[in-house]
Amino acid sequence: MDTATLDHISELSKLNFTPDEKNVMLAQMTDIIELMDTIKEYDITYDDTKDHNEVRYDDLRKDIPAPSFPTEKLQQNTSPRDNCYVVPKMME
Amino acid sequence: MDTKNITAAALRRMLDNKEISAKEAASEFLSEIKTKDDKILSFITVTEDEAMRNAEAAQKLIDAGEAKPLTGIPLAIKDNLCTDGIKTTCSSRMLGDFVPPYSATAVEKLIAQDYTLLGKVSMDEFAMGGSTQTSAFAKTKNPYNTECVPGGSSGGSAAAVSAGFCAAALGSDTGGSIRQPSSFCGVTGLKPTYGRVSRYGLVAFASSLDQIGPIARTAEDCGIILNAIAGVDPKDATSRDVPFTDFNEKLGKGVSGMKIAIPKEFYGDAVDEEVRTAVMNAAHEYEKMGASLVDCSISTLKYAVQAYYLISSAEAASNLSRYDGIKYGLRGEGHSFDEMIRDSRNRGFGDEVKRRILLGNYALSSGYYDAYYRKALALKQKIIEEYNAVFEQADVILTPTAPTVAYKIGAQDNDPVKMYTADICTVTVNIAGLPAINTTCGYDKNGMPIGMSIVGRRFDEATIIGTADAFERTFSPVRCTL
Amino acid sequence: MTDLYPTIGLEIHAELLTKSKVFCTCSAEFGGEPNSRCCPVCSGMPGTLPVLNHTAVEYIIRAGYVTNCEISRFTKWDRKNYFYPDLPKAYQISQMPRPVCLNGYVDINVNGTEKRIRVNRIHLEEDAGKLVHDDATRSSLADYNRCGIPLIEMVTEPDFHSAEEVVAYVEKIKLLYKYAGICDCKMEQGSLRCDVNISLAPKDAKELGTRAELKNLNSTKAITRAIEYEIYRQSEIIESGGKVLQETRRFSDTTGETTALRSKEDAHDYRYFPDPDIPPIIFTEEELAAIKQALPEMPEQRRERYISQYGLNATDADNIIGDKDICDFFEAAIKAYDKPKTVANFILGEFMRRINLGEMSMDSLKFEPADLARLIELGETDKINKNNYKTIFVEMIGSGEKPDAVCDRLDLWVKDDTSAVEAVIDKLIADNPKPAEQYRNGEQKVFGFFMGQANKALKGQATPNTIKAVLEQKLKG
Repeated sequence: MDTATLDHISELSKLNFTPDEKNVMLAQMTDIIELMDTIKEYDITYDDTKDHNEVRYDDLRKDIPAPSFPTEKLQQNTSPRDNCYVVPKMME
Repeated sequence: MDTKNITAAALRRMLDNKEISAKEAASEFLSEIKTKDDKILSFITVTEDEAMRNAEAAQKLIDAGEAKPLTGIPLAIKDNLCTDGIKTTCSSRMLGDFVPPYSATAVEKLIAQDYTLLGKVSMDEFAMGGSTQTSAFAKTKNPYNTECVPGGSSGGSAAAVSAGFCAAALGSDTGGSIRQPSSFCGVTGLKPTYGRVSRYGLVAFASSLDQIGPIARTAEDCGIILNAIAGVDPKDATSRDVPFTDFNEKLGKGVSGMKIAIPKEFYGDAVDEEVRTAVMNAAHEYEKMGASLVDCSISTLKYAVQAYYLISSAEAASNLSRYDGIKYGLRGEGHSFDEMIRDSRNRGFGDEVKRRILLGNYALSSGYYDAYYRKALALKQKIIEEYNAVFEQADVILTPTAPTVAYKIGAQDNDPVKMYTADICTVTVNIAGLPAINTTCGYDKNGMPIGMSIVGRRFDEATIIGTADAFERTFSPVRCTL
Repeated sequence: MTDLYPTIGLEIHAELLTKSKVFCTCSAEFGGEPNSRCCPVCSGMPGTLPVLNHTAVEYIIRAGYVTNCEISRFTKWDRKNYFYPDLPKAYQISQMPRPVCLNGYVDINVNGTEKRIRVNRIHLEEDAGKLVHDDATRSSLADYNRCGIPLIEMVTEPDFHSAEEVVAYVEKIKLLYKYAGICDCKMEQGSLRCDVNISLAPKDAKELGTRAELKNLNSTKAITRAIEYEIYRQSEIIESGGKVLQETRRFSDTTGETTALRSKEDAHDYRYFPDPDIPPIIFTEEELAAIKQALPEMPEQRRERYISQYGLNATDADNIIGDKDICDFFEAAIKAYDKPKTVANFILGEFMRRINLGEMSMDSLKFEPADLARLIELGETDKINKNNYKTIFVEMIGSGEKPDAVCDRLDLWVKDDTSAVEAVIDKLIADNPKPAEQYRNGEQKVFGFFMGQANKALKGQATPNTIKAVLEQKLKG
């Protein structure tokens, strides 16, 4: 794995690394990808219709609403304002 | 009460015969935790008050003659199972203060039996790891040798059972996380069929592989707990409605006439000789009991770890994206949303979790998806196919649970590849969604437990519980000397 | 200079009218106090799992049938991964390679010309929450009530070449979805949302130009304005030798212009993959046939019925069908008074006039279809004079008062008291000796004058037939 790829994947993951951390991570990820690369030699294709884990239409949840959760309890792990979750201002 | 040897089944009889009260039982385990867990570090949260309240409620039912199998039985719960009002950390700084507003379905089902909650036990962070050393709060040690790891990710559950801190515990198993620590800690652990136990309220690591199961001292106790927690759940669309009456229906029935498959790939050089020998000895023991051994092959095993890490990391990367500090969890700082969530995630997640997220996003990202993720799904289909073929000629499969016994703490630090390949014996079972049980089949020259796994057909937990039970009846476990 | 020719494709999002959300049991109603229609599932708490709503699946299949799509026998759900504070799980459950509906078409009519627009696909996904921006504290507030409202996304082929065609299509889709009972199609509330992909190229060019994606189009008027502005903007760029950028642009209703939101270069890599929490579905032919069978009556079928059974002319039938709420009102009214043509005439006349004047709206009608039916019945059976329709109708619009009650209160019942009519007419003839003379001399046209005066004097208390009979008799002397 090269630095550019690591940067791209870190961006997708919303993770930052210091230069030192990045060096360690780069080496480790390179080892890991090397292990993963061994599957490339195995010639096999995926057919999603053969997973056989489907359910039937009639087994789906019936459309019956139930009372929602108490807002205060739902937000007991954060500090809401006006019952809303607070984030730094988003630019459009 | 001998807390290291008492089984849930035996404690049930004592409670029902009024030889001990539910409060006394809870107190005995709590005092063991208080005096000895500083050496093991298995608990993250001890819920003493809750335990006493539970025991009191349980006693009323016992006195009224209305006790269910787990009423008043003191259990520990892995800290990735949500418990309403009780901190659930997943051993991560990210969820260090997280108090769920609801309980997991499996926990609700234990509550419905009026069990006694002793506390929440440690694990690898977000269940990623096989040593419990990635825990941010309690790097649990092996009760047989505190210089060794207890295994993982359910290392806290297995160590707590092994050390006599609880009658049994719940764990979760994504790639061996119940069976491998059970093996390392000399206890019995069951990973049910995917879909047997509701995953609702289990903090997701890899949704297509995760499954909740019991860790206990006997196969019978595993069956008692599975009886309580199994069943289809309207809150989990992947749980399946496969009827069962009693997972312990094959206890004491022996293994006569049973066909036990020995897949050769699991007995190669990657597995320590002492482990191989102990498992093969157990196989021969089964032969003596009237079972026959069948040679077989799972040729895809050499790609199994790769397929497992690609699928599980891809799912994990997505499952763990919700940790942004907004709704719950560690809230980072920053002037923008982007800065804030990066800070939350940088500080909240440990290195192993970060590696898995990176690997997962790599495998899913544009240009790599087909080569890695899609290929892993193809391998999954092939692995299932191979297991189906084996089960056409055998009733169960016998394998080592781990290539080694518990290793020294620090031995695999900074070597993720070594750590990943150590999962070789357990991951295919998750990929194929099969049930498997670990039970102790011997001890190495240093007295460390060696575990074997019995793998069954989908939804045939009763057979593997019966098979493990047959061996346990001939085997005298050596408990830790803590 | 070659003529630049616009090519346009649409993405139409429609919120489904299910009672509960698509993956949890919270109410799917619009609005509510912030985060009051939420639960651990739709607010993305750890350990929670989505469970798919049966009716949401039925509704997207309906959407497929009314737009002539193929329904996939095997369908599954995927995760679209991206971080945004209105998306609590940081992924949206959607569908990528196996959408429910594929390869459909919808015929539209623009200025009398029929045109077929191809539908590429329709898939089912979950809506995101809403953000309110607070400048004072430099923060945004997230409300997840809308999270998990079922949403279907229809993607068309780039078959449009004018704003008119696009608007005709959107109107047609609104009509089809409303009649199918799957969406209320309120663009202003966001229950129907439309994104427009538009590019310009010389008419005979082999390749399409670079497209811009236009967002925030909250009405068909906004769609027209945005397309027209974008045609202007892109032609300016191309004609001055520049290059149009592939980007997402936001339309502003106040300025009538579009501005760049983000360019495709920093576009997301959504890392779609199958959602392991939601098993795929396999449909049987019987299940699909049953869903098709249960489709509500569609506009085409109603039109056919109105013409052949009720004897309405094609234009009247189209006008009634053109608004589902009005059409449903019509249906209910003729259940109470079985004279479809008469009821249709009233609805297309006075009723529509009042709507167009803004005096009433179908969202907030104070009277029932049966009340309107009763009003028409009173007129048709000579219980009231039809000249009083307006007076009574205005009262119904304003207060919802029943027509019988209005007639009581304002004394509008036809009395048909012949002696009273005779007295009024006697006086009328006495007061107007000259016209009376003219009539007797054979000038028939003055009869109208007397009718008018008599009607006015009698304030609709007698039927025109009675007045006419008495008048004729008296004038002949």
